[in-house]
Amino acid sequence: MTRPLIEVRRLTAHAADGTALVRGVDLRMEAGRVTALVGPSGSGKTTTALALLGEAGAGVRLSGHVRVGETEVVGAHGITAHAAGVRGGTVAYLPQHPGNALNPARRIGAVLTELAALHAPSGGGRNASRALSRAALEQAQLPPERPVLRRFPHQFSGGQQQRVALAEVLACGPRALVLDEPGTGLDTVTRAALTRELARLARSGPAILLLSHDHAMVRALADDTVVLEAGRVTARGTPEAVLPAAPAPVTVRESGEDPDGGAKEHPEDSGEERPDGTPLLQARSLFAWHRRRGHNVLHDVSLRLRAGECVGVAGPSGSGKTTLARCLAGLHERLGGDLLLDGAPLPALVHRDREQKRRVQYVWQDVHDSFDPRRTVIDQVARTAVRLRGRTVDQAREEAGALLCEFGVPPRTAARPPGALSGGELQRAAFARAALARPDVLVCDEITSALDAETAERVLTHVEHLRTTRTAVLWISHDLRLMRRVADRLLVLDGGGLAEAGACARVLARPRSEATRRLLDAEERGQRRRTALPAEAGPHPMG
Amino acid sequence: MARHALRRVLLAIAQLTLLSVLVFLLTSLLPGDAADVLFNDKTGTEQIARLRHEMGLDQPPAQRFLDWAKDLLTGDAGTSLTGGQPVSGIVAHSVGATALLAGVTAVIAVPVALVLGLVTGCRAGGRLDRTVTAVTLALGSVPDFVLSLALVAVFALKLGWLPSTWIGATTGDLLTRPGLLVLPVAVLLARTVSQLIRQFRAGTLGALNSGYAQQARRLGVPRTRLLLRHVLPNAAVPGVQQLARTGDALLGGVLVVEAVFAVPGAATALIEAVRSRDVPTVQALTLLLAAAALFLNVAADLVSHRLSPRVEVLR
Repeated sequence: MTRPLIEVRRLTAHAADGTALVRGVDLRMEAGRVTALVGPSGSGKTTTALALLGEAGAGVRLSGHVRVGETEVVGAHGITAHAAGVRGGTVAYLPQHPGNALNPARRIGAVLTELAALHAPSGGGRNASRALSRAALEQAQLPPERPVLRRFPHQFSGGQQQRVALAEVLACGPRALVLDEPGTGLDTVTRAALTRELARLARSGPAILLLSHDHAMVRALADDTVVLEAGRVTARGTPEAVLPAAPAPVTVRESGEDPDGGAKEHPEDSGEERPDGTPLLQARSLFAWHRRRGHNVLHDVSLRLRAGECVGVAGPSGSGKTTLARCLAGLHERLGGDLLLDGAPLPALVHRDREQKRRVQYVWQDVHDSFDPRRTVIDQVARTAVRLRGRTVDQAREEAGALLCEFGVPPRTAARPPGALSGGELQRAAFARAALARPDVLVCDEITSALDAETAERVLTHVEHLRTTRTAVLWISHDLRLMRRVADRLLVLDGGGLAEAGACARVLARPRSEATRRLLDAEERGQRRRTALPAEAGPHPMG
Repeated sequence: MARHALRRVLLAIAQLTLLSVLVFLLTSLLPGDAADVLFNDKTGTEQIARLRHEMGLDQPPAQRFLDWAKDLLTGDAGTSLTGGQPVSGIVAHSVGATALLAGVTAVIAVPVALVLGLVTGCRAGGRLDRTVTAVTLALGSVPDFVLSLALVAVFALKLGWLPSTWIGATTGDLLTRPGLLVLPVAVLLARTVSQLIRQFRAGTLGALNSGYAQQARRLGVPRTRLLLRHVLPNAAVPGVQQLARTGDALLGGVLVVEAVFAVPGAATALIEAVRSRDVPTVQALTLLLAAAALFLNVAADLVSHRLSPRVEVLR
């Protein structure tokens, strides 16, 4: 048997307070093979992956044995002095939120060339580095042209930023790649394209460690799967052998009569399905723009939200879902149209009074920056109840602790600063923070995309509980399977406008708009892909 | 970049126009005019009226503004109402000293602050960081006049190393007698450097803890390179903005230092002109200082924009 490129034996990691994060993990990675590391959030996936780079979070102690190529990265006494040598050139890491990983002050071409020159085997001069950087860009499916190279990261869309980050990683020419939750927050169509590209990348040679809770992606890409739970390997083998069976496709579209009337000329969320009661939150022909009026990112979107109701919002990336959420939350101020709460105008966030702030709460994805890095998570979650509901600090802490526990964030974890929590744990804390306001309207923007199935389930259960207390929920998601479960009605956005609106089951069973059909097709393809990976060379949506 | 620069400069020109109107309006609000100041109780009202007419003070304000603006554009700032010499001469004489003080201060302050800011930012919480933070906090909190007097007491009076005053010196002497500059510049540096270090330190800290610095480290970028190529451009942004504000303060607000060291600078000239109701000089000096402030801010904005182009988007 040949010596593997990367070998991890009995790796352990302990947090500063002595908690074991990783307890004796073994791992082998070989060139050209994809190893998937799966498990619930907080199970030690990222800690294990970073150990390959000889990196550990603040206060985390590693021990065991990690060998990368010929270099010992982690030894019995922790990270070795040689570890710095493997970073980039031998093992390169693609972080979960690539947007944060790009330097806002540097042109991408300059960074790519710099990285290529840094890791080129024997120099080769500036031209060689340029050629390498162009090749990396091409491999990441971006055109290697001068105008692209001269752009700054903020001039790319979210999906493209992911490609730029991938190109930076590839420019180092690594022998092994670590991909941390690629595809988080991308819509189904873009995610399918990304999966295809990663498969092509895997065939081109490097060993790949894939960290993911997206079982469909793992099935499509991985040769070996290692399941982590609470820092221990609980199963390993091929994805088919280890992962639970894929859910049966549920997108059987019915044909025939519409129970709720014929197709409308102009789709509009009139909320006619439930004529009882006045709307709690109403938006009437909402327009929104960014820098210049007229270049609208939302046009003429109307919606009604009643107490206890859940309205879903779906649509491809860039269709205006998040802008809609931010309008309702009062964070997007460049808007026209009416926004009414209980029939009274709802101003932008800065002009909302305490009660209005309490009544409308917003949870979004990628919440890390919304936490103060110096205070404990539980304090920050509890603060909502103090500020918006006038609880005493002790009462608020008690409520916050109970809620976090319900979401699977134990008190000991919550007592740490946000930097010591995993992405999924923080996401749940952000949800708890909003839920603690006992809002009347809760806007959830992709809040389960960073969560594994089991944790997402807990969040959903709480959403349903909130609805029994007459909280209205606006649920924005790419995941149509979850959508079927939670949403009463569904709005499909496309290019900033309302493409379709109606009862959720009806819209997904008998779509009337092209946008909805595209979403359903992408979902279906994603479910089929678990067998052999089709080498279809579809168009690559550039964001 | 070019478009952004053009837009920013056009905006600055508009601001400058608005500013000249404001300067004119505000100075015409000053109680009394030069005629009142020049003459005393014994002069008859008729004489004052004649003088007003000669000086053009009886014209309507709009007309006076247009005349003034037209003259300014041709480089003529008018004649001093009190001394009779051209205003441009007074301005040139007084601004020279101030500009020299501000310039020397900036040339020393920026590199010192940049290096100390970077170093303390990299070793936040370390001994050097705590020392520098304590010293800058203390220096930044001491009022200028206290520091001035303390320095004069020690270095001029007690030790006799440095001259304590500029009385008798002209701007030309400064180049041959740099000792004159030491104490005033030291006082100005105390506050300037303290504020700048804190901004550069905060910028460095923010950039070092950012996702992109972490990713650069993970991709094997060595430490020095990381600092200079990846961290510095982002870390400098708050410092550059602070520098523009400091520049404003240095040009317009060094009054205390000028007063203590008897520097014949812009602030002294301005106070003198206001006291004698020498409106043309007040207008010319105010406008010049305002224009300099505008220029500094435009320059800072353009530098920030080059360092971190996202600044524009965020606005």
